[in-house]
Amino acid sequence: MRAAQIVAILPCFWVSRVKRLGRILVWVTVALLGAGALGKIALDRGESLNAIWFVIAAVCCYLVAYRLYSAFLAARLLALDDTRATPSERNDDGRDFVPTNKWVLFGHHFAAIAGPGPLVGPTLAAQFGYLPGTLWLIAGAAFAGCVQDFIILFCSIRRDGKSIGQMAREEVSKRGGFIAQLAVLAIMVILLGVVALVVVNALKASPWATFTLAMTIPIALLVGVYLRFVRPGRVLEGSLMGVGLILFVVFAGQWVADSPSWARVFTLGGVPLAFAIMVYAFAASALPVWLLLAPRDYLSAFIKAGAIFALAAGILFVRPHVLMPPLTRFIDGSGPVFAGKIFPFCFITIACGAISGFHSLISSGTTPKMILRESHARFIGYGAMLLESFVGVMAMVAACAMTPGVYFAINSPPSIVGATPDAAAATISGWGFPLTAQTMAGLAHAVGEQTLWNRAGGAPSLAVGMAQIFSNTIGGERLLSIWYHFAIMFEALFILTVLDAGTRVGRFMVQELGGRVWKPFGRTGWMPSVLLSSAIIVGMWGYFLYQGVVDPLGGINSLWPLFGISNQLLAAVALVVATTILLKMGRTHWIWVTLLPMAWLVIITMTASYQKIVDANPRIGFLANANALAAQIAAGKIPGDKLVDTQRLIFNQRLDAGVTAVLASMVVVLIVEALVQWYAILSSRRAPMLHESPYVPTQWAEGYSGVAQGDD
Amino acid sequence: MHDAAKNIRRLARRFWRGVREWCGDAAYERYLRCSAAQGEGCRRLTAEEFYVQQLNRRYSRPNRCC
Repeated sequence: MRAAQIVAILPCFWVSRVKRLGRILVWVTVALLGAGALGKIALDRGESLNAIWFVIAAVCCYLVAYRLYSAFLAARLLALDDTRATPSERNDDGRDFVPTNKWVLFGHHFAAIAGPGPLVGPTLAAQFGYLPGTLWLIAGAAFAGCVQDFIILFCSIRRDGKSIGQMAREEVSKRGGFIAQLAVLAIMVILLGVVALVVVNALKASPWATFTLAMTIPIALLVGVYLRFVRPGRVLEGSLMGVGLILFVVFAGQWVADSPSWARVFTLGGVPLAFAIMVYAFAASALPVWLLLAPRDYLSAFIKAGAIFALAAGILFVRPHVLMPPLTRFIDGSGPVFAGKIFPFCFITIACGAISGFHSLISSGTTPKMILRESHARFIGYGAMLLESFVGVMAMVAACAMTPGVYFAINSPPSIVGATPDAAAATISGWGFPLTAQTMAGLAHAVGEQTLWNRAGGAPSLAVGMAQIFSNTIGGERLLSIWYHFAIMFEALFILTVLDAGTRVGRFMVQELGGRVWKPFGRTGWMPSVLLSSAIIVGMWGYFLYQGVVDPLGGINSLWPLFGISNQLLAAVALVVATTILLKMGRTHWIWVTLLPMAWLVIITMTASYQKIVDANPRIGFLANANALAAQIAAGKIPGDKLVDTQRLIFNQRLDAGVTAVLASMVVVLIVEALVQWYAILSSRRAPMLHESPYVPTQWAEGYSGVAQGDD
Repeated sequence: MHDAAKNIRRLARRFWRGVREWCGDAAYERYLRCSAAQGEGCRRLTAEEFYVQQLNRRYSRPNRCC
């Protein structure tokens, strides 16, 4: 090479080197910043900690995890191939299989996976202090939740958008598939019962909140009729009109609360509210979907996007101080919100914000049928879950930014802290979290409620936290009550959307199962079958809801862990399927990617299931509680008028123990089935048979982004 | 300056189109384009029919999560 050529090449060489060095430096800085912020929140023992550290720690960790770990998964483990046509290209029908722009699909996917779980779970887990929950939200998402969502999405893309149940049947075994389907139905029933309980606890004895939520139903009907008959399919204008009306009824709720006669109409106890919600869900499931269910879902999606964005902006703007200690005394298992030690119950309680089995249903449902390129699965599968985890971190900040005494007052049942405000304030102050009954009375008045005591479920305490953050941004103390009811409406709307959509999907599952026994029952349009199957599914989750409402320990104590266990068991199922597929693909070397989170989930769910069934502490063990109540009856300590209630309570506790045992054993059977498969593959006894769709090269140009020609 | 204004307009147009795609406003237009491209023999659905069919399909499988 001549000297002149070398001189010409040198600048290019150095420019690329410097650029590369610059990129490395940026990522090293992000990593160091994240590590520093994590260190700050983990080791800070000062007066109070600014919430901005949580945001920095979380965002930096997410960026590094996305840049490094997800890139490794995409390139080495899954070897995403953009020359391969995705299901949306091969089967494009303009209906189910629709090639969709990466950012739009991210929005769809996120709107589908983001539910009330990451808001409620971290709020409840805040009783252990802010540290364990925050660490698990970040680490759990990066190494387990995002991995599950991403890999299941990938597997489903390679199988024309097949569901997790179908994949389990084909790749693991027929029995495995059946178990997975049954597990999905069982888990859905528990999930719906528990989230309905959160709504009941948020609305009971609150005319303002009940009025607001009740009004969302006629508003949804109005939007439904508009979108069907007036301007078919014009979702944006219909929804914006509905959102405007909802914001108005949030404001108008205060007039209802101030009017004695109207306030009486909308002041409902737990049991009537529970039945009202069951009737609503039955109607939403049985009525035409365009009338009630779909328009409510649109409204919820818009308000969800707006409220999450507002919460993030509020935290950045106000930068509240976190008043909860990093660890509380309740890590020993004596927590008032729910009983159980930090291991495994912190992980079980956080659930969806770190890893959610339910996401595998979305990742193997609509999203794979709309994805444009395989490489988009990284951004959509891994990225959307990171954002969900961030919602969880924000919920944790909102819960921990309020005075700890207030947090415990809202979330503890009277049987633990005491029935009167003074007794409860004394108990909570005795734990080292100073509180007076006047503080609670003043706060309840400021947010426009009659009382804030005993509102277990996470929604009201999160609403107080959010309202304090929002009111510090706009409006001050004067608008605290409006913000509080906006937050309650947002959470309740959110949850009712899960309830009605879940009930309808559950109805289809019941019809499908029933159709195997008696053919006509399986016809989804046959009215008697529609009504009966809707009643069956509502009856099933409604029983859990009713049981939670009448439970003297608050219901959340028994049912949220049951929900967490079932959700995490489903995640274990999804990871079993993912591991099996990876083994069949010959990725034995990297199998720890799914095997380790799966093993961790099996450990925490099995430990939690075991403790929830047989632990000797009546607040933890279902059977111990049943036995303690039975002993009280035997000793004649239960008055005659409470006898029937107590007997029902005993039955419910035994039922919960049975349900936990059945769920855990179903997953054990599935794991055994998978182990047999894995052994056969690893010992080369059976040639691994993958059920992937055959490779078809893409016809799209390299830069195609889902934009129809002539649009741009 | 002129270029910057053009870029902003293009970005705004893209954003607007993204929002319409996300919320489902553009679904019928997409269906029409798709069925025109495929030259389907069967009758083309009206906006109302398509909207109702689309909803029935979407809400018969898990599409909202916890």
